[in-house]
Amino acid sequence: MPHDTDGQLLVEPVETDSPVETGSPFEADSPAGNNSTDSVSTSSTSKADDLRSLEAGLDRLQTDPEHAPGAWQRFTTSVLPPILFVIALVAAWQLYVVIAQPRPDIVPGPVDVFNAMALGWESGRLQTAVITSLERGVVGFLIAVVVGTPLGLLLAEVKPLRRAVGPIISGLQVLPSVAWVPAAILWFGLTDATVYFVVLMGATPSIVNGLIAGVEQVPPQLRRVGTVLGAGRTRLATLVVLPAALPGYVAGLKQGWAFSWRSLMAAEIIAVGGTIGFGLGSMLQQSRELADIGGVLATVLVILFIGVLIELVFFAPLERRMLRRRGLLQGGTR
Amino acid sequence: MSGQTAIRIEHLGKRFGAGPLVLDDVNLSVEAGEFVCLLGASGCGKSTLLNLIAGLDRPTTGAIDVPAEGAAVMFQESALMPWLTARQNVELALRLRGVARSARRAEALELLDTVNLADAAEKRPHELSGGMRQRVALARALAQDRPVLLMDEPFAALDAITRDLLHEELERVWRRTGRTIVFVTHNVREAARLGQRVVLLSSRPGRVAGEWRIAETSGRRIESPEVAALSIEITEQLRKEIRRNAA
Repeated sequence: MPHDTDGQLLVEPVETDSPVETGSPFEADSPAGNNSTDSVSTSSTSKADDLRSLEAGLDRLQTDPEHAPGAWQRFTTSVLPPILFVIALVAAWQLYVVIAQPRPDIVPGPVDVFNAMALGWESGRLQTAVITSLERGVVGFLIAVVVGTPLGLLLAEVKPLRRAVGPIISGLQVLPSVAWVPAAILWFGLTDATVYFVVLMGATPSIVNGLIAGVEQVPPQLRRVGTVLGAGRTRLATLVVLPAALPGYVAGLKQGWAFSWRSLMAAEIIAVGGTIGFGLGSMLQQSRELADIGGVLATVLVILFIGVLIELVFFAPLERRMLRRRGLLQGGTR
Repeated sequence: MSGQTAIRIEHLGKRFGAGPLVLDDVNLSVEAGEFVCLLGASGCGKSTLLNLIAGLDRPTTGAIDVPAEGAAVMFQESALMPWLTARQNVELALRLRGVARSARRAEALELLDTVNLADAAEKRPHELSGGMRQRVALARALAQDRPVLLMDEPFAALDAITRDLLHEELERVWRRTGRTIVFVTHNVREAARLGQRVVLLSSRPGRVAGEWRIAETSGRRIESPEVAALSIEITEQLRKEIRRNAA
């Protein structure tokens, strides 16, 4: 029994079992095997096969086959419910208009709003407004991505800089971007630059914060593994940190888009005239000036619809795919 | 064994900042191709010692000699990249080692086959069980192609059946590849089952408190009587070391 710290004890096994009894799971031709004399080559090969099939069985028991939901299932679980809800909402609205008979210039019915929308479509104003706004929103958002991404990376990786600039970026996120409109008009006049500036100020903080949050949530273990595997600073950032931070970044982009779209509408409502074209916000403002409640509601619905459409067509699939691949989606296995 | 020394640790001491001494005068040398288990209760600095050997941390006093190629490390959590498949995770290690792009795929598949996971190559970590993930991590560690493999309680979070199988798997891989393995654990039976040598560390500060060499290592199972006998002996010594902290 070893009592002092350097005590060494030679422990002989109680008996040397033959491989047939206890089983030698090793291959006989092992270079490091210092005592493979007692295992016969055939029995050790079968032992290796044994281990292989044993492991395969256990692997099968411990994993469930992942079934992706079918198209019909996806339709009934995620597409159908919101559609049914909207139909119910419109029906309730129509019912209210029929029963309560409110003044149509204050509470129009769904039909009036639809007619206003059709009128806008026929005159071509609606198409112009949608295209103008969408183009500005997308371009403004892309500029925000180009500005926000390197800024976010810089702040995420350089700690002193983040301590200095981080709170101000977070503060900017709280500041409603409409607040920039008066300043932007004074600086840039009634031009597209005003609109883009407001969109940029609205979206960039979200993108920067999303990226910082994403990088911050990278498990330290993954960085350690990257280091152990021999990654330097650059390759650690590109091969480990950035992909690991992707969920946070995409969440930031999604929020950035929402802020872009909102800021754009705010800017278009306030800044009318000059070289600023005719967008959805301008259309909203024009309908108000004409006391055309049908037109106002129709425009609101179009703005809402475009926001939802971009989310559904672009961000939702992107996010779902990314989360499913990482097993972060609810309902995924283990 | 060949008698060549792979790892030499002399008068190693470590403290973090102004904190207490974590490791005190640790001396240990590991031969090339040897399988050494480092055993100890919580707070004995096992993981600290492993990090020092891996070069993730610097010793306060003393010296560590490791092969110039460095060491591969396996952690308790598999720490696989969740956005990569099993094969891509292994390929990442190959890429960081500098293996040409064209050779990576075949080599990764071969390594996965070594741990009996060829069929799961295209699965992502979340689709794998805990034991499978650790085998991918083992394949990834082997992909580094370093002579020394450091393992930090790699099987601690697994269920008993899986752990038992992975012991066999690891022993098979060790015999096949001739790696030098330093295996950290707090599980006495695991140490007695796997090691050619078991090194017991005392706690606070960590010192070498006992050492056992096992002459006959082939054919051992976790339930073998010689493993049980050795476990009893080591446990007694371990408890003595733990009791000293009560005073």
